[in-house]
Amino acid sequence: MGSWFVCLNGLVDDAMSGQAIIEIEGLIKRYDEVIALDGVSFSVREGEIFGLLGPNGAGKTTLMEVLCGLRRFDEGRVLVQGFNLATDAYKIRSLIGLCTQETLLYDLLSVRENFAFSASLYSLDRKKFKERVEFSTKVLGVGEFLNRRVQQLSGGMKRRANLAAAIIHDPPIVILDEPTVGFDPTIKREFWELIKNLKGTEKTVLLSTHDMYEADEICDRVAIMEKGKIAALDKPRVLKETIGGAASIRVRVKENQTRQALAVLKEYNGAQREDDEIQIVVKDPWKTMTEVSNKLASKGILTEKIEVVEPTLEDVFIKLSGRKLTEETPQ
Amino acid sequence: MNSILGIAVKDTKTFFREKGTIFWTIAFPILIMLLFTAIFGREIPFNANIGIVDYDNTPLTTGIMTGLNSTGVFTVKNFTDNPIQAREELNATAVRAIITIPKNFTQNLYFQNASVSLVVDETNPDVARLCRDGIKTYFSEYYKAFYYQNYGTNYTTPLTVNEEEPVMGRSIGYKEYIVPGMLCYPLLFSSMVVATGAIVYEREKGTLKKIRASPARPLNVLFGKTLAALFQTAVSILIMALLAYFLLAPTLNWNVPLLIPIMFLGSINGISLGLIISCTLRAPQAASNAATTIAVVLQFFIGMYFPAEYLPAYLQQVGSIIPMTYAAQAIRSVMIRNAMLSDLVYPIITLVASAVVLYVIGVLLYKRWVEKE
Repeated sequence: MGSWFVCLNGLVDDAMSGQAIIEIEGLIKRYDEVIALDGVSFSVREGEIFGLLGPNGAGKTTLMEVLCGLRRFDEGRVLVQGFNLATDAYKIRSLIGLCTQETLLYDLLSVRENFAFSASLYSLDRKKFKERVEFSTKVLGVGEFLNRRVQQLSGGMKRRANLAAAIIHDPPIVILDEPTVGFDPTIKREFWELIKNLKGTEKTVLLSTHDMYEADEICDRVAIMEKGKIAALDKPRVLKETIGGAASIRVRVKENQTRQALAVLKEYNGAQREDDEIQIVVKDPWKTMTEVSNKLASKGILTEKIEVVEPTLEDVFIKLSGRKLTEETPQ
Repeated sequence: MNSILGIAVKDTKTFFREKGTIFWTIAFPILIMLLFTAIFGREIPFNANIGIVDYDNTPLTTGIMTGLNSTGVFTVKNFTDNPIQAREELNATAVRAIITIPKNFTQNLYFQNASVSLVVDETNPDVARLCRDGIKTYFSEYYKAFYYQNYGTNYTTPLTVNEEEPVMGRSIGYKEYIVPGMLCYPLLFSSMVVATGAIVYEREKGTLKKIRASPARPLNVLFGKTLAALFQTAVSILIMALLAYFLLAPTLNWNVPLLIPIMFLGSINGISLGLIISCTLRAPQAASNAATTIAVVLQFFIGMYFPAEYLPAYLQQVGSIIPMTYAAQAIRSVMIRNAMLSDLVYPIITLVASAVVLYVIGVLLYKRWVEKE
């Protein structure tokens, strides 16, 4: 199976280091005058959690819908486990489990009946269905409400059931489109654990999100999308280090001691005042932080707050696009 | 389980768990059937007040009034020679008709040139018709009796209408008429409206995305939905037929082997129309509303509650292009006239042809719609 390099802003996709399960090359999708996907190329490795990070309108959902065969594409090539999307769309659909941000379950049916319906779409036999229900009970924790109607479930339960129904046919690839939109932080964390559990069951996960923490927390690699293009792609740590900028130490002292503190810290070339705090950019901020704290204490300056601020994926996005992730993509 | 069966089972379970749908597709028509039978399925005692202005005022005219009173159909009020008051009461609908007996009526009767004048309140056409016919018949019969009594021979009417035995060999009541008609109700509401709803619901809820993202082929989805709608229609018809049988006990020919294919064809026609509506109108709510509105209107065209002949000619033309009209005709022919397959060639061929054409159009529209998404 072939793989290729995708060079973006000087970054290199090291897809060749693992077996590529999804390979996308020069993908273009137009809606009349609007180009939703503009020559997108990347590959996803088997067993990884791959994130598509970008603001609303960046093309994430379109890309996922194209992959699932819900939308046609105009140009390019998409291979999934070696099958060509243009000619083997139905085969590819059986390899993918799609879990969208909406709960695609039938309210009047029980969770088990919803599973049975999803299984029928993939012609699952009775034995395999039983196994998969057991899997969902163990790994996704749906056992407690398996026989309850969906309309009687809480939001969190519905999301779990939704994910379980999406992968009832045991697909090698799970596509999650903004899976935690509208979740409260507790359910979001719980859902992240479920996604990590999926990775443990040898699933490849492709998820779209505009939540930088989500991408940072659970993704092995992240592609940052902007205006239908991949703006950058790598491990979150590498993206932050190479594009997001250096980490810094932020210190806050009593307001009347700020000038004195700046004088004490002048030996650090990067020290400068930022609002009511002092920011010091150094190579090894965690090591330097103790030193800074001691220096200020020795001069009788009381430190109110001292912390190391590391760049986030939001910083990466801002550096790349000049906008925040929460802003809509201008068409 | 394959996708066709999976979709059929899912749709059927959802249908029978939706209380609103159950009410409108099964309970409502049963209520209508019982209600209509209660209203129209009995002998309605008719009695109308009529006024007589009697300028002649002879024992004979008094006898005429007594005779009219004794029919039990009319209650006669004598206005003697006060036509103004009689008109006032007619305008106030206190009386439904006024008969004016002119002076010398009795004398003229012997010279065979007597006449009375009649004014009927037309504000209620049915009552007006009954009054007019009743009064004319009474005077005709009275004159016959008078002629025989005075001249000893039978008065001969220019034309005699001899009514023959009914074609069925028995007369039918309203319940015998409405039960077969109401069995067509599910063809519109369980087949057409539910088929529209089944697709519209998936679009609205977003679950169509899940189905389309699966390897299930569009045709399998359609067959699954058709199977579900057929089953739901069959169950609706069965429940209605059983209730009608036990609650109303109509005297009908329950030729089930012949009724099943007719209802199957009618149902396929309904499902196809539902499919066309759901794929033609883009907005789910608009499609749902359109299907319900069309079904509500069509039920009056296909002769469900009353014979299509009651409709004006141009509306009968509209009814003749609706496939379910032929299903209703065929069902009635079987249940009321004991028709056999050989008697139903025309409606069955029409139903088969329209089912094929409409279903193919529905499939093509559905496929185009899925591909366009």
